[in-house]
Amino acid sequence: MILYDYVLSASCYKVRLMAALLGQSLTLHTVNFHPAREHKSADMLALNPKGTLPVLLDGETVLTDSADILRYLTRDAPEWRGDDDPWLALAADLNESLGMARLHDILQYDVDIDAARAAGVKQLRKLEAHMTAQRFDGHLFLTGAVPALADIACFPNVSLAPDGGVSLDTYPSLRLWMRAIRSLPGFIEMPGIHRLHELEFPE
Amino acid sequence: MDWVAVGLCEDVPARTVVPRRVQNTDLAIWCSTAGVFHAWGDRCPHRGMRLSHGFVRGETLSCIYHGWTYDGDGACVSIPAHPDLTPPKSICAAQYACRVQDGTIWVALQPTQAAVPELGARRAIRSLAVQLSAETLATRLKQPFGPVITLGGAHDIALAVQPSTDTDCLLHAFAAPDQDRKAVSLALEHLRDELEAAA
Ligand SMILES: N[C@@H](CCC(=O)N[C@@H](CS)C(=O)NCC(=O)O)C(=O)O
Ligand code: FES
Repeated sequence: MILYDYVLSASCYKVRLMAALLGQSLTLHTVNFHPAREHKSADMLALNPKGTLPVLLDGETVLTDSADILRYLTRDAPEWRGDDDPWLALAADLNESLGMARLHDILQYDVDIDAARAAGVKQLRKLEAHMTAQRFDGHLFLTGAVPALADIACFPNVSLAPDGGVSLDTYPSLRLWMRAIRSLPGFIEMPGIHRLHELEFPE
Repeated sequence: MDWVAVGLCEDVPARTVVPRRVQNTDLAIWCSTAGVFHAWGDRCPHRGMRLSHGFVRGETLSCIYHGWTYDGDGACVSIPAHPDLTPPKSICAAQYACRVQDGTIWVALQPTQAAVPELGARRAIRSLAVQLSAETLATRLKQPFGPVITLGGAHDIALAVQPSTDTDCLLHAFAAPDQDRKAVSLALEHLRDELEAAA
């Protein structure tokens, strides 16, 4: 499988993280998204007319949306699947709000920044209320006691919210949820999202 | 205010550190492996990195940046770049008084003789941020301004108010022990929406 990838993209990281947790190997094809705008090159547009990343290539299969790619990677891993559609829709909304606020702040994207941040805060509050209820039931993840596709789809743009000027300081349940994901076996990092430092130094 | 609630103990488990703000002062609240809570200024004495980005090991908190490590009294005990050096006693994280009562972490920014506020026979529900000053919040709730606001009602809710900035609070909510925590949590969401919408 070849992933056309950009290291700072939350949507590409989603795919890398999912594959890592599943123990699947990806051949990364690095696309110079910024500043070269290589995702809009003739070659990339031939592959994905939308001109977006990520793009996954597996034999004849070409997938150009991270939600489809996550479904594809987990097609033989039912333990990661559930009622995924609402969560993938939320993940897409998070990409439009928090994700766009971040691209505004780090890559100068032309975005209505106040609207993007306000929408992001609304979604974070909903997620926090949901995760708080999950914790009342003793669950650490969005859909239960074990991590699922839903968690991996939502995790990157939530974790990177501070890059877009949205603080995560006042979401205690989301912080513990992010911590639970960061401590999963096979977890991988991206710039701005680190593994649990303390795990590297067992006492 | 003497004592200010800054969080629920269950939200800061052993070996974790969280950032909190009280009246524009940034704090790192952390819980050691043995379960001892600390409230420090959120600033590493070395180069000013936020200590809330750091990590807990045993009874110490280490800074994520260059790994300077501070013991439970805030004193620097190790500098990884100079392993043979005993750090001078003057290198010390800013410490604030920190108490645990009713499953809640309380901090006093100034030395105080006052007692930690009582929450009555209630149990902790959750913390939630509200985009209002503590004064405006009390006014909209038609309650006297103070560290704890008792709302009563069917759930017998009490709110410990953490004034974060001049425009934001973090509320720590408590309710009668027989109340369903999910139902109270939902009621709190609605209450926040109403309070923020009321002009
Ligand atoms: N729906 C896409 C959105 C991914 C996305 O937002 N990609 C950004 C990079 S992080 C992109 O390619 N933007 C270029 C553009 O929209 O022109 C997915 O999740 O796969
Ligand atoms: S800034 Fe904390 S160790 Fe250097």
